[in-house]
Order: sequence, then structure tokens, then C-alpha cells
Amino acid sequence: MGYSTIYAVANSDIVYETFDGDAVVLDLASGRYFGFSDSGSCVWEALIAQVPPASLVGRPCGDGLLSAADLDAFIARLTEYGLLLPATDAVSTALSPDLAQRLAAAREALKIDMHDELADLVMVDPIHDVDEPAGWPAVKQ
Amino acid sequence: MRRVTLDGLADYARALFAACEANADAFPGKSRVELPGLAIEVFSDHGELATALAHGMASSTVANLATPARVFLAHPGIGSIPPPAQWGEALFHPNMFAERLEAVGLRGHYFHDLSYWQFYDVERRLGVQLMLSADGCPPWEFGAPLRCFLHWEYAARGMRLTHAGTLGKGGKGVLLAGAGGAGKSGTVASGLLAGLDSVGDDYVVVEFDGDRSLARPLFTTLKQDQAGFDRLGLARLLPDPGPLNWQGKHQFRVQDICPRGVADQLDIVALLVPRISGAPLSAITPLARKDALMALAPSGIAQMPGERESGFRFFGELTRRLPCYNLALGTRGEEIAETIAAFLDRGRP
Repeated sequence: MGYSTIYAVANSDIVYETFDGDAVVLDLASGRYFGFSDSGSCVWEALIAQVPPASLVGRPCGDGLLSAADLDAFIARLTEYGLLLPATDAVSTALSPDLAQRLAAAREALKIDMHDELADLVMVDPIHDVDEPAGWPAVKQ
Repeated sequence: MRRVTLDGLADYARALFAACEANADAFPGKSRVELPGLAIEVFSDHGELATALAHGMASSTVANLATPARVFLAHPGIGSIPPPAQWGEALFHPNMFAERLEAVGLRGHYFHDLSYWQFYDVERRLGVQLMLSADGCPPWEFGAPLRCFLHWEYAARGMRLTHAGTLGKGGKGVLLAGAGGAGKSGTVASGLLAGLDSVGDDYVVVEFDGDRSLARPLFTTLKQDQAGFDRLGLARLLPDPGPLNWQGKHQFRVQDICPRGVADQLDIVALLVPRISGAPLSAITPLARKDALMALAPSGIAQMPGERESGFRFFGELTRRLPCYNLALGTRGEEIAETIAAFLDRGRP
């Protein structure tokens, strides 16, 4: 990860809401939901506000400081899930005092939970079924 | 057999609208459904679906009678209605399907297994459901007829078809949110038997009115599996409950167990997320809004075609407005109803 990289929400299928500091993200295309820990919510909000990761490393986060390794792993997970992409031509912003305060007060480690129980319903594809012997996709006749 | 692709989707929808309007006089049945803020003229054939429409829809006194929507429940046995086309592309992507239609003011849904099409023109308030036969719809439609059309029409008005049960007292109520099997329907039936009100056990329409969140009824059906049916002692009220539905559940109407029927409206004051606890007594405890949204939104969005982002936003706003609680369900229906009634009296656990 380049710590000077600025990130942005990957595409318009990624929608999110924040409640009392807790972020919930829905990928409309895949039907997967994502929930964050309190520190994860802060970092998600910072990254999509175009705060560069470099300015987050070493920040107070709960009882310690936000480490480069933890942030690296968290961003890797966000990009792996298709929620975040490096943004070209983006202008960086500073971490807001409110987010910095919330990050310092966080009690949970950086974490993202993925829920895909209902993804099959959202993504109902009536033409293709997984067919183990035939492989995927198997077109219904 | 006509095959429809993304590029031809809107034209196909418009061709079906034209075919139904041209054959309007050939439909054997014509009925009127009056729901909250919405009157619908339904053109149909006779059969189980028409029966479900006649008996399973809530009747509202706040219908907008001036401008009824029209929905045609069509099949090739009516006049010159064409047989349903089939999907003509190698891949079917629901989001692309919805986006292509939304770009031209239409909504739609396709269920491959039954060659079942639904299209709705939001501006003209005109809907078509094209099936292979009079009752050629997916089995869940009989419990909630017109569900997709109601979803699209209400969403266009900023209201929302919401997958939740309801219970209320004195005009105030709670939403019961959660996936199937969480205990919503059993809780609603318990409450009705104990004298509480409800505007539905599965789908209701929710509207924001200033600071208020109002839930109103769309359907009058209730469902219970055999275990719940036995636990609630429903056999004394329904000695001949009829055949089980597609889920293997008993399906009956609110007025079958509660003579006053569904309430007209509930002013929702809290969102409860029930879960079967196994403990003898019920308990209501605070729940993070994030977790409440995760209980409320996914199934409501997943079960409805299109309008997914607006749904997520709506459910986000609803969750933000309401205090949210876990409801650990006790083992006795009466006790569960008493717990919810006491909660409504106090306005807090």
C-alpha cells in the first residue's frame, strides 16, 4: 500500500450509512453487507473523505496507536471486498478533529465483518445455477 | 418464442402495456383494491390469484380514489395477449435489468422458471404481470398479491413496502424486524390474540409524516407453521384451516383470529428485533442502530426488485428515527404480548 495514496468509494453500487459512529455498507451489486468495528468505522469514514493513510498512521486509536501494519491489512480487506479503490486526481483532506477524537476513543480493533447470507437473494440469477459436474455457469434450458 | 434482451427490454414492456390496454375488455374479472393512499383497478382472470386479491388485501379508508393505478394480471388465454417471452441473453444481471428500465421510467422483474414478467410504468401508473396461465405466478404471490407493483408505486412516493411485523396499542406501535424464522409472525399472532392491534405480520407500508413514522396495512393474511399454530391454540379458532401454503404453513386472515381485523394505522415508536430465546420470560434490551438496520434492511431489499439504494436510505432513516431494541422472546405467547403492551404503555423497556 502506498501511504500517500488517496482512496475513494469504489463505485456507485457501494452505499453506506453511519449510525452513532457505526458504519454499515451495502454493495448493491453483490448484495453483501459490511459492518465495522468502531475504529474501523472511523478509518472508513476518513478514507472515503480522502484522508491519506499516511496521516492516520500513528494516531491514537483506543489504548494504543494506529499501526501501519493494521491499517495496511484493513485497507487491503476493503479493496479486496471491492469497497474502495485508489482515486486518481483526488485532493487529500485532513482528518477532522471529530474523527480524530472518535478514533482515539475507539474500543475495538480495526475490523470489518462481511454478511452475505442474503446475497443470493439480491443477486438471484434465474438463468444460471451452479452445477458441480458441469461447472459454472450451467444455462437452464 | 420471442426472446428479450437488455436492449429490447423497454420496447417489450411497452408492447405488453399496449397489448393489455387493447384487450382490457377481454379480461374476465375487474376489481378495485383500495389501499393506503392508493386505489388500483385490477384486470384479471378467475382463479386462485383473483381469490387472493379479493380476500387477502387490506381495505383502506385513505385510498386516493381520484387517480387509480391499473394493473393487468395477464396470460395468453385472454383475448390476443401474447405468450410470455423468454430471456434472450446468456447472462441475467438483476441490477442491469433494473437500471435499463429505470432509465426510461419503468420498473420490472423477471422470474425465469415461470417465464413470469412484471412491468410498471411509474408515470402512467400502469402495470402488467404476464404469466403462462391464470395462476402462473410464483407461489409466494398468493400471500401478497401485487407486491412488486405496490413496492414500485410506494417507492416512487417516498414511502416503503417494509418487511416487518407490527403490534400496537392505542394507536402507537412497534415494528418487528428480522429474517424469516425470527419469530415475527408468532409474535404478531400472540399479540392479536391478547387484544393488541396490528397492521400486518409480514409486509406493511411505512411513511414518514414529519417526525412520525406511520405504518399502514396492505395485506390481511397471517402465516403460522404447525408448531406455532399448535402453540397458540389456533385450532379452536380455525378448526378447518385449509391446505398449507407453499412454505408448509397455515395461512389465514387477521379477522379469522381477531374480529376487529387489521388496524388502519400505527404510529411507530420503536423498532424491535425479535429472537427466540428459550427463556421463560421475554426481555427488551437496547440494540445498536447498526445492528437494527442489519435486521431490517437486508430481507426487505433482497425480496424486492429494484429501488435498492432508495430502500437502503429509507431503512437507514427509519432506523435513525426510532429507538431500537432486542426482543428476546419468552416461551408463552400471552407473556410476550404482555411484555410488548407494557413497553408501549411506558414507551421504554
